[in-house]
Amino acid sequence: MRAAVLVACGLLAGTASLAAHHSFAAEYDGNLPVTVSGTVAKIDWLNPHIYVYVDAKDDQGKVAQWKFEGYPPNMLVRQGWKRDVTMKVGDSITVFGWRARLEPHLGAARTITFADGRKLAAGPPAGTGGQ
Amino acid sequence: MLTRTLASLALLLALAGTAAGPALAQTAAPATTPRPVPRTADGKPDLSGIWIAGGIALLFGEEEAARIRAADKAAGRPAPPPREPPPYKPDAEKKRQEYLARRGIDDPMARCLLTGVPRITVRPLPFEIVQLPTRVLILYEIHHAFRIIPTDGRGHPDDLEPSYLGDSVARWEGDTLVVDVTGFNDKTWLAGVGTIHSEKLRVTERYRRDTYDTIIYDVTMEDPEVFTKPWHMQETFRLRPNERIREYECIENNEDIVRWEKLLETEFKK
Repeated sequence: MRAAVLVACGLLAGTASLAAHHSFAAEYDGNLPVTVSGTVAKIDWLNPHIYVYVDAKDDQGKVAQWKFEGYPPNMLVRQGWKRDVTMKVGDSITVFGWRARLEPHLGAARTITFADGRKLAAGPPAGTGGQ
Repeated sequence: MLTRTLASLALLLALAGTAAGPALAQTAAPATTPRPVPRTADGKPDLSGIWIAGGIALLFGEEEAARIRAADKAAGRPAPPPREPPPYKPDAEKKRQEYLARRGIDDPMARCLLTGVPRITVRPLPFEIVQLPTRVLILYEIHHAFRIIPTDGRGHPDDLEPSYLGDSVARWEGDTLVVDVTGFNDKTWLAGVGTIHSEKLRVTERYRRDTYDTIIYDVTMEDPEVFTKPWHMQETFRLRPNERIREYECIENNEDIVRWEKLLETEFKK
């Protein structure tokens, strides 16, 4: 897992931020950034938040499926995302975000970087939210 | 059939009155020559248009947020005053702190319940104001919700049931639209985690289109059950002429709250 998943601990600047409809901190820990590289297995392009499922291999080649929550489609399309075009099942991506407090393979996505180098915002910054 | 369709269209346009004209004619304003604030036939400032109050960076990206900050600076536009903390009585403040300690996990909005006033206005999704001769409509993208606000001098109905968005009536004070909102239930948060209120809440919203591109939104919240004095808040709405209000069905896949039940069990067992 270490090869694909880098977990860094440390206090991030936790500015107040807004998710579309709930507090970031309710479920995610802004002190636990995580970077996951793998293959897109599934995309739930749904309100109130999208979910991206990423198959990532660990050191032994064992695949773990991560699930990342992102912005709602309404916010993504305004930043240039297109459903089934910008990101497709099978794409190689690197997700940066923060870990969930409870579930080991759940995270809040902040950015997604694609194989061709494109890096797009996928979710809100860490923060207290709920404004 | 065609005749009936045309007649219906004509009626709609007539109902919309002059408000539709300026709204439809909006284009990006040049930076150096400020456009005048548009007015309706009765001389009132026309608030019609698609606006957003907050979350520019979230909705449109950091570059757009930086562009707006630079334009504000160039125009000498002061930043909105920092938000006051809610002036809660001790019991209400204690409850707010409890909700904050639970990191907003109890947020009614996270359950996709209608977000009340003023919170619905300051969410990072746009809304459209449609100003008609005798009423103002506000169409919010979030929750796909709407408010119908009479401006013909009528008061609140006498059969109000407590509701999420309350009941709104408005009047003009000079160039400011003053909206009186009452008849709320106590199931919403006002502006931020744990900002509770009672059914005695009364909200006064003041909408003033101070430039072509902006509305100053000034809010006073009064609630003798929870506040020691009125709570004030001010935000700036930004005109987004090229936007459209999209559908937003919050409950579609709101699986967060299912997981949150587990969080509640493990972290906040009572």
